[in-house]
Amino acid sequence: MNNKTYMCILRSKSGSCEKPSPSEMELMYAKYQDWQEKFADNIADMGNKLGESGSVVRQDGVTDGPFIELKEIIGGYMTLKATTLNEAITVIKESPMIANADVSIEIREISTP
Amino acid sequence: MKQYAQVEHVFRHEYGFLVASLLRRVGVHHIDAVEDAVQHAMMQALDFWCRGDIPDTPSAWLYQVAYHQLLSEFRISHRRKEILSEQVDFANDVFAEQPEVPLPGEMGDSLLRMLFVACNHDIPVESQLVFTLKSLCGFSVKETALRLFITTANVYKRFSRAREYLKNQPIDLDNLTNSDMATRLPMVHSVLYLVFTEGHLSSHTDMVIRKDLCEEAIRLVVLISQSTVGDVSETYALLALMYLHLSRMNARQDDSGALLLLEQQDRSQWNKQFIAMGLGYLERSAQGQTLSRYHVEASIVAEHCLAPSFKKTRWDKIVASYGLLERIAPSILHQLNRAIAMAEWQGPNAGLDILQSMDIPIWLNRSYHWNAVLADLQYRCGKTTLAKKNAKQAIQKAPTDNIKDLLRNRFEKYSLSTLRNID
Repeated sequence: MNNKTYMCILRSKSGSCEKPSPSEMELMYAKYQDWQEKFADNIADMGNKLGESGSVVRQDGVTDGPFIELKEIIGGYMTLKATTLNEAITVIKESPMIANADVSIEIREISTP
Repeated sequence: MKQYAQVEHVFRHEYGFLVASLLRRVGVHHIDAVEDAVQHAMMQALDFWCRGDIPDTPSAWLYQVAYHQLLSEFRISHRRKEILSEQVDFANDVFAEQPEVPLPGEMGDSLLRMLFVACNHDIPVESQLVFTLKSLCGFSVKETALRLFITTANVYKRFSRAREYLKNQPIDLDNLTNSDMATRLPMVHSVLYLVFTEGHLSSHTDMVIRKDLCEEAIRLVVLISQSTVGDVSETYALLALMYLHLSRMNARQDDSGALLLLEQQDRSQWNKQFIAMGLGYLERSAQGQTLSRYHVEASIVAEHCLAPSFKKTRWDKIVASYGLLERIAPSILHQLNRAIAMAEWQGPNAGLDILQSMDIPIWLNRSYHWNAVLADLQYRCGKTTLAKKNAKQAIQKAPTDNIKDLLRNRFEKYSLSTLRNID
């Protein structure tokens, strides 16, 4: 049973993507579909895209970006179901999202008491 | 998955429709902004649709997203440059209107009009072809380069020539008259014929046959045939030619992807439905006063498609057709083809006689075709030494490994039999 939930956070470098052509997008779409079908049991929520602007609130004030590094933005999130972290990693490794060299995905277990 | 199938080719197929429909709305000179907006809409689609939110009418969804993107681009550039009244009026005009999504038939009409705008005598033919592939068939610069066997730098050059022209002309898609369109119809036909030809035997090293290119060409010719201007016999002849060729496409390669000669093809694999469609169009094209090169070329392919075997092909009809083709659209290649057909009909010597009477231009001498045909007929006439020399040259000149293999495949047969004769 896939009894654990993992939060996956997508990060990418901003503005570094070359524009794909319609036939390339068609291919990407097909890859997504295959991947989603293959791991239908694992993908709990395809999540959403996050906006590019945001703020970080700290005790000493508000800074203007959610950036870990200056040029890295959090593009979106999704949640997975898996029994182990390794299983979750396998699912993400096969995803088309990771095919882009500028994308990294952080996987964290959502711990429930 | 059903949902997936529904949008399988949406990206490539809708690209041209969207670009043309938006250009019709905002003017052809905004070509760059329009292409960017359509690209943006498709990226959005990729993102949303992958999450499962596939709209009922993907085409309308894409149009609306692209349209809004275009509007906000115009607003930004307007604010930034504070430009002239033309742009202010334009922005106000479009704000006033709700973005209605055009009807599917209307989008087809826009694409068609755009095709006629691009096929203009003032734009060089190579640029027309690149523009059509890139902006109306949705190919990237790299894909266009691979498919036309030119460098990406060359694609950019040719594309920008077409784009510069379009940007500087106050072209209104709705102002194209039927007589403008009728004048340009032959050009539109020939550009789509070129798209198809490239697909039929690609100069691409990895892909010998590009069925997608052929299908793209057919899609656009069908669209033309449905319009008032394009509803003429040449269009149907072109469609006949394309469907008849398409019927043999799967049988032209063996399991490993190597090309097969006509004689080696398994005729039972030829697609009967496409043959029937091709013949249907051919019948429809046999109306009116015109006999175009497409009519004659289609009738030649039809002879092959209807022949029960290579041996039982009506070579006399094919020889006559190539003779007719030479008169309608003179080309030395038709003479070369006539020689090949003649060799089948009246023997290799008759074919060789035609070759020896030909005046060979330099460009033909540079290509492998001439040496290949010469070698073939010389082998069959027993002129082995000459044949070997030409065979070697043909293989050296062939542009891809697939074509080299095809030639070896053909010539090895002869050298074996000649060796046996010597023994």
